[in-house]
Amino acid sequence: MELFRYSRSIYGGSNQLIGANWDLLPVFVGAALVFIILHALLSARSKRRRQGSS
Amino acid sequence: MDEATSKSQTAPALSPRVPRHKAIDRLYHWLMAICIFTLMATAFLPILGFKFEWLDIHWITGVALTVLVIFHIVRAIGWQDWRNMWIGFADIRDLWRNVAQLLGARKTPPLPGKYDAAQKLYHLGVAIVVLAVVGSGLLMLLKIDTPLWRRNPYVFSGDTWGIIYVVHGMAAMTIVAIVIIHLYFALMPDGWYLLRAMIRGSISRKEYVEHHDAARWKA
Repeated sequence: MELFRYSRSIYGGSNQLIGANWDLLPVFVGAALVFIILHALLSARSKRRRQGSS
Repeated sequence: MDEATSKSQTAPALSPRVPRHKAIDRLYHWLMAICIFTLMATAFLPILGFKFEWLDIHWITGVALTVLVIFHIVRAIGWQDWRNMWIGFADIRDLWRNVAQLLGARKTPPLPGKYDAAQKLYHLGVAIVVLAVVGSGLLMLLKIDTPLWRRNPYVFSGDTWGIIYVVHGMAAMTIVAIVIIHLYFALMPDGWYLLRAMIRGSISRKEYVEHHDAARWKA
């Protein structure tokens, strides 16, 4: 997956950088959801362990 | 009357509520939230296929966000205690202990001051990406016609514009992720007392004692 978007320069020659690749948006959303799921699971396990020992 | 009785009669009773956020700071938070959601919607809905005239709403809201950010920086430095958000050695140590507890360590981490280490790190991350998106966005205003100036796309080279657009886009997508995580922590039951504080302005004395160290946040 590309990180950036390019377009061909109207004057010919090399491609012109025009911005970030929007196909990365699901990656950012997915990373946030993975963080949330991991945190929720670890928090629940930690709470159960503390309740078990108290 | 003996000394103990005299002292107990003159000691001020603790208020049942502890102030946490003044009204102006709550207003700032919610106005910033409206701006961020409006900017995300106008940025990404057209990309996702919902076509509408987004540009004017986007840049005007961006300028409003810029004003809010400048207001916050000035107020935080001049009127609030910026040290509340300073990440020190104690915060790094607390963060390590919080992570250790999540991973199974038995020791309970110490109570934080007004903001815990994770909140301070979140604030630092938000500050960096919002400043990046605002800074790059203000430069991009040079490419559009506004009531104050005519567009001039030639002020920077094509390569420079490319970098500006990359910074803006990457910062914007990072903000999407950060907002999702922020909503999670705000809506988790453990965080409800903080969400109420961002609406009401205060927490109960019981919440203050349960969640904070009085030596680190004097209230």
